[in-house]
Amino acid sequence: MTGLPTSPLPALLVGFPILLAILTLFFRPGVKALVGLAGCLLTALLAFIAFVEVTQRGTVIHTPGGWDPPLGILLRMDALAAVFIGMTALVGGFISLYAWRYLRAQDPATGGYPLFWPLWLFLWAGLNGLFLSNDLFNLFVTIEVISICAVALAVLSGKAGALKAGLRYLLAAITGSMAYLFGVALLYGSTGTLDLDHLGQVLEPGTTTTFALLVVTLGLLIKMAGFPFHFWLPPAHSNALAPVSALLSALVVKGAFYILLRLWMEVFGVGITYAAGQLIGLAGAIAVIWGSWQAFMQTSLKLLVAHSSVAQLGYLLMIFPLLILPPGVTADSADWLSVTWTGGVYQVISHAIAKASFFLSAGIVIMAVGHDRIESLRDLVGNMRITSMAIGLAGVSLIGLPPSGGFVGKWMLLKGILLSGQWWWAPVVVAGSLLTAGYVFMLLRLAFAPAREKEPFRPVPKTLEVVALLLAVSSFLIVFPADYLIQFLENSEIFGSGIEAVLKGGFYGND
Amino acid sequence: MSVLIDSLLAILIVYLALQCLLAPRLTQTVFLFFAFGLALALAWVRLGAVDVAITEAAIASGFLGVLFLDALRDFSFITSGKQESSDAANHSVSKKKPAFLSLPGVVLVLGLGLFLLITLEAVWKVPESGGLTAATEALLPESGVENPVTAVLLNFRAYDTWLEMGVILLGLLAVMAVGGIKIFPVHRKTPEDPVLQQVILFFTPILFLFGAFLLYFGKNGPGGAFQAAVLWGAIGILLHLGGRPVLTVIPRWLSQLLLIMGIGFFLMLGFLLLAGGASLFEYPPSYAGVLILIIETLAAISIAVTLVSVFVHLNQLNKEESN
Repeated sequence: MTGLPTSPLPALLVGFPILLAILTLFFRPGVKALVGLAGCLLTALLAFIAFVEVTQRGTVIHTPGGWDPPLGILLRMDALAAVFIGMTALVGGFISLYAWRYLRAQDPATGGYPLFWPLWLFLWAGLNGLFLSNDLFNLFVTIEVISICAVALAVLSGKAGALKAGLRYLLAAITGSMAYLFGVALLYGSTGTLDLDHLGQVLEPGTTTTFALLVVTLGLLIKMAGFPFHFWLPPAHSNALAPVSALLSALVVKGAFYILLRLWMEVFGVGITYAAGQLIGLAGAIAVIWGSWQAFMQTSLKLLVAHSSVAQLGYLLMIFPLLILPPGVTADSADWLSVTWTGGVYQVISHAIAKASFFLSAGIVIMAVGHDRIESLRDLVGNMRITSMAIGLAGVSLIGLPPSGGFVGKWMLLKGILLSGQWWWAPVVVAGSLLTAGYVFMLLRLAFAPAREKEPFRPVPKTLEVVALLLAVSSFLIVFPADYLIQFLENSEIFGSGIEAVLKGGFYGND
Repeated sequence: MSVLIDSLLAILIVYLALQCLLAPRLTQTVFLFFAFGLALALAWVRLGAVDVAITEAAIASGFLGVLFLDALRDFSFITSGKQESSDAANHSVSKKKPAFLSLPGVVLVLGLGLFLLITLEAVWKVPESGGLTAATEALLPESGVENPVTAVLLNFRAYDTWLEMGVILLGLLAVMAVGGIKIFPVHRKTPEDPVLQQVILFFTPILFLFGAFLLYFGKNGPGGAFQAAVLWGAIGILLHLGGRPVLTVIPRWLSQLLLIMGIGFFLMLGFLLLAGGASLFEYPPSYAGVLILIIETLAAISIAVTLVSVFVHLNQLNKEESN
């Protein structure tokens, strides 16, 4: 319909993991893990093929059922979707390898939490579906798939703490879904369309539009644990099994951010005001400071890492105020827009990799010492060199020191902030980095400190340590293709028009 | 006249919802929830959405109600040792002053009230757009069915429906994740209850036929896979309660096949169409009607088995905890 080339790849990216998820149900627990792992690696391979396809051919589309939107649903794999799908494949592939070894070691009796594999494959399909979808209601269905999988994975250990945190997570997730769905109903009721492109064209300013925008944004903020809706994240992420914590923190919360970014940039142009942007940026700034401070105050390792996620997600919210033009600025002079949003995407990728590595390393330490008090890191360097190095590297990327991926993301964000003239966000970025340095160096200081008493480190499978380290190293390696990735994103035709939508609406949208 | 009915219905729904929240005993809450679901179903009928009304009554009021009642029974079983009264279904939710009378409660209620007013304002101002009704009507002849709801669910937006079938399966997986990893629990024989046996003998054929009716006539009028599935699922739950655990006596691979049959066939069909150069779920127009009926039948069986499995699993889970 749009003249873009059609490809079966978007359909396969959703269908294939679900096919494998269904297949795994038929196998005995031990075999299930093997089939699941093979399925995960194949899904990652498929995602890389699709990513390369988009870099070669540009945006590809698929219309399931062959019906054109707005009646049918459009799946579109543009540069942004390709980058998110590639990120999911890279991080998800490593986590799958880790999970295979970790779950077997944790629970040999039942073959290592066999339900992990169908749930994770379904979750992967849901994430791919979310990144590809161009339809408001279909996005809701993918959110549902993701939320149910995420909650089920979070309670997989069956421990009382995990169940309690999982219930809270479920209630927050459902509230977020309902708020989003209510907004979608209002938008559909007033425009008669669910297709994002179409909606962006026909949406008119008014009470209903503003209110719909408000509830949709609120719902997505709950889902991505944006301040002040972050309360569910630390317990849910810290009580889960190590590979699950990594999946939830690195990938699941990014889904809601992705929808928020797409909607604000492509659809909601007419409803967004300068004040709304400042408000969401303020929520992000508070999250950065509050989350980092909380992380600094924790005495348990996984809670520290989880609070650090709250802070790192705050940085993502801080790009929104920059995407809306202040009064009197025209589109041509707004040269900070592309550096801001590509920087935001880059921050998503580097956080996903570093945080996954951090959570996987924490899992290794807990497995070795049997508890998750931060004190347990004492003399880690003497006992587990590989894991110490992984924690160090991942930490450096979270702080944003060069030459890590985290540095590139935060540097671009700072550049955007200074170019846009909204200087008041800059101290927040710096303070956040300093606080992050505080808790990372606190961990490293303990890791180098001599052991007080002989606390035994039990041997841990080498595979786990190597996977965590490989991820940590990746958070540095992604600096090399940074230029290429950013150009790839900037050249995507969808976002060219997306930015214009915001510019046109921009400050004057509601006037 | 109709305005009067609608207003009364609206007031009734809000009243039942409030009562449901404020009821001092859990048993009352559950029965008010039944009533609330039925009132909501009536509202859907008034809005002309008969398909939604049937689903609302069947799933929200019927199936969820059964799960709540089951949980309530087990809850009373668990707490019976600790309380004087063995009927802990009468367990009081709140003995102290209701929370909404405190200062934060008042602020919260006022805030919610304000939010509700803005909501009403926003809903009131929704302009008439007609939605996609016209587009659906125009393409209905090509869809292979005559009921526009079925056309949207199984053809125009089959992709959404296929994912939703995944959501239902995930519901079962989530229940299993909470309770450990047993695929199907071992059945324990319950004593035979002659009245229950008679009820089963009487209702099983009726439920089966009515389900099949809803399934087949979903092509032309209200009804379809989801509604039929609940009726068929009710058969499974009745049989289970009556000591005939159909799902646990058949081989495991068969019960798993029944579970995934709907979503699996749908997907394999989609992949075949992809391999043939069409889009996912792009049926050849001349076969669309037949294919939709096959998909709906398999989906209804799968959903029914899923619902029964959820019930059986929770039932077993609660029993284990209470022992």
